[in-house]
Amino acid sequence: MDFGRFRFFVREVFANLSRNAGMQFTAIGTVAVTIVLLGSLLFVRESVSRIGAQVLSQIEISAYLTDASTDDTAAQLRHLMSQDSRITRITYIPKSVGFAEMRTHMEGQIDTSLMTSNPLPNAFRIQVRRPQSVAGVAARLQRLPGIAKVTYAQDIVLKLLRVTEVIERVGIGMIVVLLLVAAIIISNTIRLTVFARRREIAIMQLVGATASYIRAPFIVEGFIDGLVGAAVAVGILAGAQAELLPKLFAAMPFVPMAHAGVDEHQIVLQLLCTGAALGTLASWVALGRYLRT
Amino acid sequence: MIQLRDVSLVYSNGVRALDAVNLDIAKGSFLFLVGHSGTGKSSILRLMYRELVPTSGQVIMDGIRVDRLRKGRVPHFRRSVGVVFQDFKLLAGKTVWENVAFALQVTGASTREIVRSVPRALDLVGLSHKSRMFPHELSGGEQQRVAIARALVRSPRFLFCDEPTGNLDPANTTEIMELLLRINLKGTTVIVATHNQAVVDRMKRRVVRMDNGRIVADEERGSYFVDDVPALTSQKAGY
Ligand SMILES: Nc1ncnc2c1ncn2[C@@H]1O[C@H](COP(=O)(O)OP(=O)(O)O)[C@@H](O)[C@H]1O
Ligand SMILES: [Mg+2]
Repeated sequence: MDFGRFRFFVREVFANLSRNAGMQFTAIGTVAVTIVLLGSLLFVRESVSRIGAQVLSQIEISAYLTDASTDDTAAQLRHLMSQDSRITRITYIPKSVGFAEMRTHMEGQIDTSLMTSNPLPNAFRIQVRRPQSVAGVAARLQRLPGIAKVTYAQDIVLKLLRVTEVIERVGIGMIVVLLLVAAIIISNTIRLTVFARRREIAIMQLVGATASYIRAPFIVEGFIDGLVGAAVAVGILAGAQAELLPKLFAAMPFVPMAHAGVDEHQIVLQLLCTGAALGTLASWVALGRYLRT
Repeated sequence: MIQLRDVSLVYSNGVRALDAVNLDIAKGSFLFLVGHSGTGKSSILRLMYRELVPTSGQVIMDGIRVDRLRKGRVPHFRRSVGVVFQDFKLLAGKTVWENVAFALQVTGASTREIVRSVPRALDLVGLSHKSRMFPHELSGGEQQRVAIARALVRSPRFLFCDEPTGNLDPANTTEIMELLLRINLKGTTVIVATHNQAVVDRMKRRVVRMDNGRIVADEERGSYFVDDVPALTSQKAGY
């Protein structure tokens, strides 16, 4: 493509973009709103899953052994458990150690000299790789001979899992709907441009322009609508992050520093690509019905 | 060389616009298609520049089965024909030069080709001195000449004109007809659909008369009203 041809093509694209500025503005705005919501959702999801992972990774399963158990039983159990790939760490706490721990814990709160007999059984503390497998592992441990009782923070685990799941579901649903709305609006914008330029298109077809040549400026138009919309959204999100997040974290000091871990570059890239792909796809669909020679 | 073989065309609404039409047009000839409005003149032309395909029959141009052309090949085929309409179909926002160059630009011609071919086409229609003007600054005849320049800028072998003087006064009509003759003399096959009786009578060229989707007369040096049907029968007898 020599320079003259390139310049002609660029002028065609800008003719499209300026043809119905109002509609173009609407399309870009819709993409921006969609991408802002998408970005927020990605951020919230990422943060929640990070907080969740942090909390959940600290959750341990306690497995108490029967009173009759010996150190031999414990060794056998440890061997059995070590073959379960879901389990990452097994710590054995003989009743004497547990008792000593409890004493230090209670020091100053009650008169520990009164704690003469040891009520604690021998126990294992077990950590698992993924929070989702806590319940499964606990159930299996419960069935092992020599184990009397298995406990873990059921409530926290279940609630966190449920919250993450709900956010994920609602988020994905909303995003799908929003992406669809944005795609429809871009499609309509492209169709309006096609309609506004129907004379030119008819002449192009008459003099022998190929379908792909006629399509190209409209595809680029959709691409630009999507990309600009996404860029506006990224700007808004960046502003919000700089302005709002510090206040948010200040207001909630107990939230374990979620945003430090979020990979912003990657999210920005994902959002820009989503916008551009959305625009390109929408204009492709819009042209499908029109420009078939 | 254009050959129509038993060509019928039925539009999607059921109108039978052409009914078993047979027609041979020699290379480099000049031909008028005449007949009342709605008799199928435009339809024949649309088949020839592959705007439509016949419902049955064959359209053969320079040995190519145009009716069988794959969709992807149509744009390249269109570059070998020029088409001119009653309403000029110029782009109002572009100058004379740009309107003519448009046909080359959108078909991937290089800047060098454009700079070489556009002046030649404008010169042919006698509008070199108005290349910077916009269509609304020109007379109807001049606008049609711009359209002709655009149709000819790729030096096509065929030029199809559908009522090219339909919107023009007699003086402009004569001007355009003389231009079409000159183009024909340079070797381009020219086919003009018209119902302008005066023009047809004066030019003494081959006239094909249509009625109700059929060719009812075909005369070598004809006039608008032809009554010697034998020309047609002898032609038809060949197939
Ligand atoms: N796009 C179309 N759809 C349906 N019918 C059409 C269409 N174009 C033309 N016709 C019909 O086909 C017949 C021939 O039309 P046309 O070829 O345009 O005639 P002419 O050019 O001689 O006036 C007419 O009856 C017309 O109404
Ligand atoms: Mg007509």
